[in-house]
Amino acid sequence: MKDEVYLDYQSAKPVDPRVVEGMKPYFTDLFGNPSSLHNTGDIATKALEESRREIAQLINADEDEIIFTSGATESINMAIIGYALKNRKKGKHIIISEVEHISIRNIAKYLEREGFEVSRVPVDQYGRIVLRKLEQRIRDDTILMSIGYASNEIGTIQPMKEIGKLAEERGIALHSDAVAAEGLIPIDVKRDGIHLMALSSNDLYGPRGVGALYMRKKYRINPLSIGGGQENGLRSGSENIPGIVGMKVASEILRSEMDEEVKRFKKYRDLLISTLLDTIPDTYLNGHPTERLPSNVHVRFEGLEGEALLLSFKDKQIAISTGSACTSKTLEPSHTLIATGLVHEEAHGSMQLTVGRFTEQSDIDRVLTATPEIVSKLREMSPIYKPKRKVLS
Amino acid sequence: MKSTSYSEKVLEHFRNPRNVGVLEGDDVAAGKVGNPTCGDLMEVFIKVEDDVIVDAKFRTFGCGSAIATSSMTTEMVIGMKLEDAMKITREDVATELDGLPPIKMHCSNLAADALHEAIKNYRIARGDVIEEEKEEEIPEPECYVGKEKFLDKGFYTSVEDAEDFQGLRVLVVHTGDESVDTALELTSQTDRVILLTAAEEILTTKELSKELEMSSVKVLYQSRLLEIRGEIEVEKALIRNLDEEEDYELFVDAVVIID
Repeated sequence: MKDEVYLDYQSAKPVDPRVVEGMKPYFTDLFGNPSSLHNTGDIATKALEESRREIAQLINADEDEIIFTSGATESINMAIIGYALKNRKKGKHIIISEVEHISIRNIAKYLEREGFEVSRVPVDQYGRIVLRKLEQRIRDDTILMSIGYASNEIGTIQPMKEIGKLAEERGIALHSDAVAAEGLIPIDVKRDGIHLMALSSNDLYGPRGVGALYMRKKYRINPLSIGGGQENGLRSGSENIPGIVGMKVASEILRSEMDEEVKRFKKYRDLLISTLLDTIPDTYLNGHPTERLPSNVHVRFEGLEGEALLLSFKDKQIAISTGSACTSKTLEPSHTLIATGLVHEEAHGSMQLTVGRFTEQSDIDRVLTATPEIVSKLREMSPIYKPKRKVLS
Repeated sequence: MKSTSYSEKVLEHFRNPRNVGVLEGDDVAAGKVGNPTCGDLMEVFIKVEDDVIVDAKFRTFGCGSAIATSSMTTEMVIGMKLEDAMKITREDVATELDGLPPIKMHCSNLAADALHEAIKNYRIARGDVIEEEKEEEIPEPECYVGKEKFLDKGFYTSVEDAEDFQGLRVLVVHTGDESVDTALELTSQTDRVILLTAAEEILTTKELSKELEMSSVKVLYQSRLLEIRGEIEVEKALIRNLDEEEDYELFVDAVVIID
């Protein structure tokens, strides 16, 4: 399968081989349970606490503010549902954005059924939160705002510092889903005024099935899984030590290599965007031109449909994404693209490319060679494509 | 089942679609179904001699199975009598393609409908059948909610200074040549101008038509504004697609309806 050019790092990342090496001993020799009091247990405790320190450092948190979970979805559930339940006496109003990940949209719907009220703040045409409109939605009984750090689809980075400042001023807890942003831009929970934040291990090139929740001191949530009281009683269940160690090693590698890696991503991203926009007529960039994840390319080709695009790339052994990876099971266009103001037919004709640690120049070359041919073939078939701009051939 | 778990036959037709294109002439009829707003639009053309389809072509905007079913349908009907072609169903097309993922059976399998539409149009043109009465004229889009609440908070009845709309997503309702002119003027300030009309085309002067075609203005046909929505300012427009009778929300920052 390595023959396939993989430009869908936002959907899944391979585990870095150095991470796998770091995890190995914890499956066999160092298999202990941190709850045990013997030496085997102590080794596991040490690994757990070292990992906690590492993840805290990654986001400038204190180590007792990190809770390990089974992944970002669990972290998000704990943060939003856990916080809402714990604080329901203070208020029942929650604010999310129109461009949140599907898991947050569905949690919001669940909480609405449970008697909470949810407001959804719109974004501008680039997918950025309009602070004024966020402020307009704050009520006396607003207890929580949940704003994703960056979009996993169009890559737009939110003005978190300003949002965090607003949350602090109004005494509202701020949760941020940082899965799309982690490892790509520096995150500092103190600077950004974030109180709760979800992280995933796979997005750091660690194993799947592990994640973390950052929860600032003095903030409280109701646990969603009750049991032996692990993770300070907030997340019961024996700790997944090999996975947690994997997340730690992934974070260490990232902290030392991020600057250099991101430079490479930006070079690929900018080359992809400028070449696609310049060489293929009636092609537009989705998302923000500058406030954008360094790995994200999201373009829209007038007059064609995303699945046909995806299948054509698949035939050429190139893995791309169209709309959101999570929504391609349904036939609905991406809610994020719709929130930027596109109509369905435009949202359907979009393509997402995300580069990552193992992307090479030859991958970029291959996709740039393949795209014009695929687009013009599909446009020839399209009854709605009318060229607007003439390009020199 | 994944929505893209296609049979080899579907993939083969997707990769090498038969009969792509258009047909023209007195003995040609076309049928069009679907709507691009929903993600699928198909056009089937048939050329008829002595009640037999001698050629067929198609153009399709849609997913893999939309393209494959269009291709298969044209292949199936060439050489077929009109009355037999009329009997081809969506299921027949799916069966010929060794099946379709269940989720795709309805939305992307419209080629048989487009074919029937084309045959019907052929018979109407020949005078075999009398055209059904067209539905009554679409009323002017004047009935919508939110006009008072959003006046000057994103809803405007005129554009004094286009610069006020810099970088905004503007929806202009087509109310005549002035609205077309306004839409075009706004493109100097923002790359997102949408012109909404209940009709199937914008009837305006030759110059404006040409300018409109070459501009970045996105025209939404057969659409009607039902409601303007937002917290305090205009944030969304509820729009009805008259063709599909479907309502959807469009995110915009401003709505302009010139009296």
